[in-house]
Amino acid sequence: MAEHPLKGKWTARAEKELRGKPLSDLDWDTPEGITVKPLYTAEDIEGLECVNTLPGSAPYVRGPKATMYAGRPWTVRQYAGFSTAKKSNEFYRKNLAAGQKGLSVAFDLATHRGYDSDHPRVVGDVGKAGVAVDSVEDMKILFDQIPLDEMSVSMTMNGAVLPILAGYIVAAEEQGVSQEKLTGTIQNDILKEYLTRNTYIYPPVPSMRIVSDIIGYCSKHMPKYNTVSISGYHMMEAGANSVLQTAFTLADGLEYVKAALAAGQDIDAFAPRLSFFFGIGMNFFMDIAMLRAARFLWNEIIDQFNPKNPTSRMLRTHCQTSGWSLTEQDPYNNIIRTTLECMSAVLGGTQSLHTNSFDEAVGLPTELSSRIARNTQIIVQEESQVCHVVDPLGGSYYVESLTNGIITEVRKILNEVEGLGGMAKAIESGMPKMRIEESAARRQARIDMGKDVIVGVNKYKITDNTHLDVLEVSSTVRDEQIARLKKIKETRNNDKVKQCLDALTRAAETDGNLLEASIAAVRERATVGEISDAIENVFGRYVATTRCISGVYAAEFDNSDTITDLRKRTDNFLSNHGRRPRILLVKMGQDGHDRGIKVIATAYADFGFDVDISPMFQTPDEAAKMAIENDVHVVGVSSLAAGHKVLVPDLIGKLKSSGADDIKVVVGGVIPPGDYDFLYKCGAVAVFGPGTNVTESANRLLDEIEKTDHAAG
Amino acid sequence: MQQADIANYIEGVKHGDRRLLSKAITLVESVHPDHQESARRLVDNLLPFSGKGIRLGVTGVPGVGKSTFIESLGLALIEKNHRVAVLAVDPSSRRSGGSILGDKTRMEKLSAESHAFIRPSPSGGTLGGVAAKTREAIILCEAAGFDVVIVETVGVGQSETVVSSMVDFFLILMLAGAGDELQGIKKGIMELADAIAINKADGENLEKAEKAKGDYENALHYLMPASPIWRPVVHTVSAIENKGVQDIWDAVLSHREAFLATGALEHKRKRQAIDWMNQMVEEELKRQFYSHPYVKTSLPDIIRDIENGLLSPGTAFKKLFALKL
Repeated sequence: MAEHPLKGKWTARAEKELRGKPLSDLDWDTPEGITVKPLYTAEDIEGLECVNTLPGSAPYVRGPKATMYAGRPWTVRQYAGFSTAKKSNEFYRKNLAAGQKGLSVAFDLATHRGYDSDHPRVVGDVGKAGVAVDSVEDMKILFDQIPLDEMSVSMTMNGAVLPILAGYIVAAEEQGVSQEKLTGTIQNDILKEYLTRNTYIYPPVPSMRIVSDIIGYCSKHMPKYNTVSISGYHMMEAGANSVLQTAFTLADGLEYVKAALAAGQDIDAFAPRLSFFFGIGMNFFMDIAMLRAARFLWNEIIDQFNPKNPTSRMLRTHCQTSGWSLTEQDPYNNIIRTTLECMSAVLGGTQSLHTNSFDEAVGLPTELSSRIARNTQIIVQEESQVCHVVDPLGGSYYVESLTNGIITEVRKILNEVEGLGGMAKAIESGMPKMRIEESAARRQARIDMGKDVIVGVNKYKITDNTHLDVLEVSSTVRDEQIARLKKIKETRNNDKVKQCLDALTRAAETDGNLLEASIAAVRERATVGEISDAIENVFGRYVATTRCISGVYAAEFDNSDTITDLRKRTDNFLSNHGRRPRILLVKMGQDGHDRGIKVIATAYADFGFDVDISPMFQTPDEAAKMAIENDVHVVGVSSLAAGHKVLVPDLIGKLKSSGADDIKVVVGGVIPPGDYDFLYKCGAVAVFGPGTNVTESANRLLDEIEKTDHAAG
Repeated sequence: MQQADIANYIEGVKHGDRRLLSKAITLVESVHPDHQESARRLVDNLLPFSGKGIRLGVTGVPGVGKSTFIESLGLALIEKNHRVAVLAVDPSSRRSGGSILGDKTRMEKLSAESHAFIRPSPSGGTLGGVAAKTREAIILCEAAGFDVVIVETVGVGQSETVVSSMVDFFLILMLAGAGDELQGIKKGIMELADAIAINKADGENLEKAEKAKGDYENALHYLMPASPIWRPVVHTVSAIENKGVQDIWDAVLSHREAFLATGALEHKRKRQAIDWMNQMVEEELKRQFYSHPYVKTSLPDIIRDIENGLLSPGTAFKKLFALKL
């Protein structure tokens, strides 16, 4: 097809409207590296390989099912879990009664990292960002009165995947439900943990073995269970744009496929049980196109393994709206953001969906905010009439072009990853993590300079703060867990437990199936921590290498007056005090979200600070020691998992008792506004919530540091 | 700074007070003119309490695994009841002056040890990788009771000479490459080494590492050793698997034994003290030159004239020195 006959006329008219500016002024260069034009026509989609296909068959661009939502709408699956198993169970049952269709369990960070609640490293983490589970007894309470043969359960677990999956299997068994009836998904996507969230336990190689052991066991005993949920969500939350999210997620998927094949599995025995998990952000059409492109590319990737079963080629996915797009400022706006992201996921053809609560930027969701979140997607599903037509945007000049654009860009990265020897090797090289962090730093710079608008944050700001109630997890949760652990250890047969744990260690040393051995140990009431330790004895605990990029933030910030002024300020500080302002950025507790400190580190170094970064998972004692030895002016604590009320006072106390009360402490991250006063009273000199402008925070810090006379520089 | 504060620092460091040691290092690192005299007094007062420690320099290109190596070695030494200080220098950005000091993230276990003290310092743009005041910091750490002081720098060419002139034993970490190991390494740097460790000698790399070991041994064979009583050694090391680290430490100890027995250590330290003074002289001359009012005002114009081709570098130089300083 040639150019539209009236295209020339349109161009003339458009240029007239632009009063002499060239038409290319309207082009938009997206962060994904795709140039979006103001107008798309039939010409743009001519000959594209993704166009004019049908849903339910290869290449699946238009959806894995032939009838999609017209036949059956997506599953409303809200991710939740907090406090004790009992509290979470009550919450689940209430939600199921209110129209939720599947369960999605959030575990606390202690559990993720394979520690029992009585471990000294998890004091601030128990029951905070998810439910605390130490043993099968907790698991049984968690699913009390929830029939596991009927309810599909999704569990977000990657590090301690063996004791948790074993716990779920044994809890079902003791409910009278046999393994083959179980439906649902275990995330079990360890590769992305090394990229973003850091909730791993073991090094990559043995962790990959755990994944293939689980795939192996489940393909034999749990045919309806999804064994890996290959997740891009966390990458997006860490700052990846849609192309990076798609590329690295598909590359992870390919790596799992290769691992399972290498372990002797047949492609059709496991590939149909691989599912995906994408994050959906505010770039409305981009993320619709992203889901369509991902399905196309997965079909293409799997094709090389010659599957007989068409299901092996199908990308089925869960989606979640972006937590990072939510703001603390003017928080009711978040309901609208979530609604748009929900529409994007739906028009992209997701199989299940979690919609975020509007208060997630400030704390744990309340009953009210959870209800609004759930109803957001129920209203789209049941009131908006969008479900009647399959892939309603199929054939759209723009969406099809965008789909093609993403396919093209993703292929480039996939080739690059292959060139490095596959995703496991690429991760070792640090390439994917650096790419994601670079993307995050650029985005932060665009927001701070107002190029990317966020209403209420960098435009249309309001001065009065909206007060929100947030859920506070009772501080007795840890005590309750410890009491229950004690009871279990007193009432079980400890000899049998030891035998099982020894057997598990042997399985790790040899090639026994680790899930099978874990199930045996769980039946005898071995705890999550004990099972993790039995394996850690052989595999070791992984310590990440922190790599940092520099210069990226400043490079994106082309309105450089702000940066020049800051650099002048730090230069003056150097002249006045004999050294540069020095900040230690720390992550304490088991909270592995490190995007925040990485962005701050690169930005502050660009401003002329000397920036120290702590290893992950510090105790307050360790953080204080480091602050003292490095003699920093200020410690910046990054907290995104609700541990701040325990860990920050501990740190400040430790600094004081070591004679370092001149070292100031600031806190940043997801901090409920109600906790600000608490933190100030403890001695924190500043608290920075989500949406804080990084240059403003740096100036504020300098104000605070300069308040003290630094006799020794 | 008050007299009383200095006395307080001196006493604190002598008693091994971590907070005061750390603040004392900050003081000696300070570039503020008002701090120089206090810093000098502090170091002079503590000098008699230093000198007994083993000073070990570790260098290598980025990514060679210096921090992981130091973590393994440090932990092993602490088990043998040593007290270990690590002075790590991170390069500062030329544009912003700021830096990211990530060393402790790579020495996670060592940094948590009560018998370890790790101090990363920004290079501040001097001498390609060495902080200007590392020598002073070594003295302070020894006075505070640390009997092994490890100086870690990024090997970028120039810094090796400087580091080797402040330590007893100089270790270069290398990686086994694709066979042509020796091409990238300058002879001058090899000459400084008391030992070479081929790091990451594990898994698939093992064979390559063994081959590289042979290559380096050969190369060293043809070099004139820096000291007639010590022939540099080459070992393969896996910091991750904790293999070969002991071999390196054994080399450090036998080197020390030989140097102590012959008086070579004392001689080396004396020579280093002179180097130290020379460096201070150079720095002070430079500082005085660039802070002179005449230089300060005329330098920008002179630079512009060179850029515009109006002045030759030689004439410009002459012009700058025309005024008696």
